[in-house]
Parts: sequence; C-alpha cells; structure tokens
Amino acid sequence: MKPVHQRFDDPTVQALENRLALGLAGALSQQTSALPHDVIERLRFAREQSLEKGRNARLAAPAGQQVLAVSVSGSAALGSTTPWWQRTLGVLPLLLLVAGLLMIQEFSVREQMLATAEVDAVLLADQLPPAAYSDPGFGEYLRSPPP
Amino acid sequence: MATEKEISDFLKSVEKRAFKRAVYAVRGDDAALDIVQDAMIKLTVSYSDRPAAELPMLFQRILSNATMDWFRREKVRSRVIQNLSDFARSEEDGDFDLLESLQVMGDTLGTESAADAVARAQMLRLIESAVAELPGRQREAFLLRYWEEFDVAETAAVMGCSEGSVKTHCSRAVHALAKAMRDKGVNQP
Repeated sequence: MKPVHQRFDDPTVQALENRLALGLAGALSQQTSALPHDVIERLRFAREQSLEKGRNARLAAPAGQQVLAVSVSGSAALGSTTPWWQRTLGVLPLLLLVAGLLMIQEFSVREQMLATAEVDAVLLADQLPPAAYSDPGFGEYLRSPPP
Repeated sequence: MATEKEISDFLKSVEKRAFKRAVYAVRGDDAALDIVQDAMIKLTVSYSDRPAAELPMLFQRILSNATMDWFRREKVRSRVIQNLSDFARSEEDGDFDLLESLQVMGDTLGTESAADAVARAQMLRLIESAVAELPGRQREAFLLRYWEEFDVAETAAVMGCSEGSVKTHCSRAVHALAKAMRDKGVNQP
C-alpha cells in the first residue's frame, strides 16, 4: 500500500475524497437544519441586532453631511469641512477688537504729545525763562501766598 | 453596494452553518453565538458598502478572525487552554487502508437507507464529533471547501494560505474523518 502523502494527487483518491467529503458535508447540513429552537431564536436576534447596528452606522455617515449643509447655509457651527471664508469670518470680530485697541492707543499717545507741545509753547512764549522753574528760590516764591 | 435586504437574506442563509462552524471550533454554544454575532455586526457595520457577491467570502473571513479573537481573549483570561495536540497530531495510520475505507464510507453516506432513524441520527452525531476533533486548520479548510462550497482559490483567500495548503488540509481532513468514522464503526455494512 502506498503511503498517504503519495496519493494526494491520485485522481481516484481525489474523487473518493470529494465524494466522501460531500457526503459528510451533507450530513453536517442535516444536523444544522435541526438546531434547537432557542439557538435559532438567538441567531435571529443576533442577526436583527447586527442589521440595526449597520443601519445606525449608515445613518451616522450622512449626518456629517447634514452638519455641513447647515453650516453652509449660514449657521455659526464651524467644522473641519467649513469653507475658508467662513472660518475667516469667524475671526473677524477679534481682528476688529485688536484694531480698535491700537487706534485708541494711537489716539492717546497723540493727545499726550499735543498737550506736552502746548505746555512747551506756553513756556517758550513767556517772558520768564524756563530755567527759572528749576531755581529753588523761585519755586519757594511761587508756593508762598501772595502778600 | 448590498442592500439591507440582501445582507439580511445572506446572514439568514449562513447563520446556522456559521454557528455550527463556531461550535466545532470553540465547543460551546454561548461562545459560538457570541462569535457569530460579532461577525455579523462587523459585516453589517464595516462592510455593508460592498457588493452582495463579496459577502460570502468576507463573512467567512470575518468569522475566522472573530474565532481567533475569541481564542486570544480566552487565552488572556486563562480560562481555556488550547489543546496543542490538535496541531501536532501524528499520522498513525498503521495498516489502515484509506482507499478502501474512503470507498466504503462514500458508499455508505451516499446511500440514504433511512431504515433506522436512530442509527442515522447517531451517525450524524458521530460525524459532527469527528469534525469537531479535527485540527483547526484542517477543519476550517474542510468546512469552507465542502460545506460552504468555496472553490480552492476562495478557500485559500479566506484562510490566508496557498491553494496547495488548502488541498493538503482538505485531503488530510477527509482521511482523518474517514479513519475516525471507521474506528467508530460507521462504515460497517
């Protein structure tokens, strides 16, 4: 008798193998068709649950597109799929605030410069020389009450 | 893309065989049901956009992976110790004449006598038991090739091995089943 491994490619053996295998598979199918009722019900329940989960998963994907549609229609919601110009509009108030603060600062500096220039102009136009204000005696004279 | 009805019909057509296939692997109804449900959910959630024609192979692949995942989880939990002897079974054929046995077995199975329903039911249980005792890869190849009726290339794709390996696994599985059935006296006329 030939060893088993030498007969794998023998057509006769292959035909017998297929015949037996199909017979065994048929026997398995017979057993499968006679599953207990509770197992059949649990399989049905598992099938329905998986279909439900699949349905939910499919519904979840279009939900993202609806958010995009709402966003495009002009809501304040900004997602990763929002157009660039809408994202720019989102930071516009912040840009306006910074610009306003810079303008206020510029205005304040200008006001201080004008006030200083006015004081300087008055001092220079006066007959009293500005160096007199640094003299301690003149300072004391200014603080003393008039006679 | 498969419709929900196509997916439902497909699952309905394969769920019993998938359950039995999982039972043969894990030897427990509850675990097998969990595996089948995991595979169903994976198919419906992740692969529902595939054409209906691809579902059978996809599902069998998912089922195989789900079964492997179950074994990994069980190994982590240390609740089940895999019987390594399944993967290192020696070929103790002795003077067993496979050719003769295959021929007799084939004739027995091909003849639907049905005279004795009890004996027939017992024989079916013996066949199930023998299939369950096959080494994992042989059982998978046998069930995919002859029960799910995949061709060799499809079986190889599902199992992630070569077509030659599939043929070898199938042949060894059939011979092992023939020997097991003969040992249990099923081929006696």
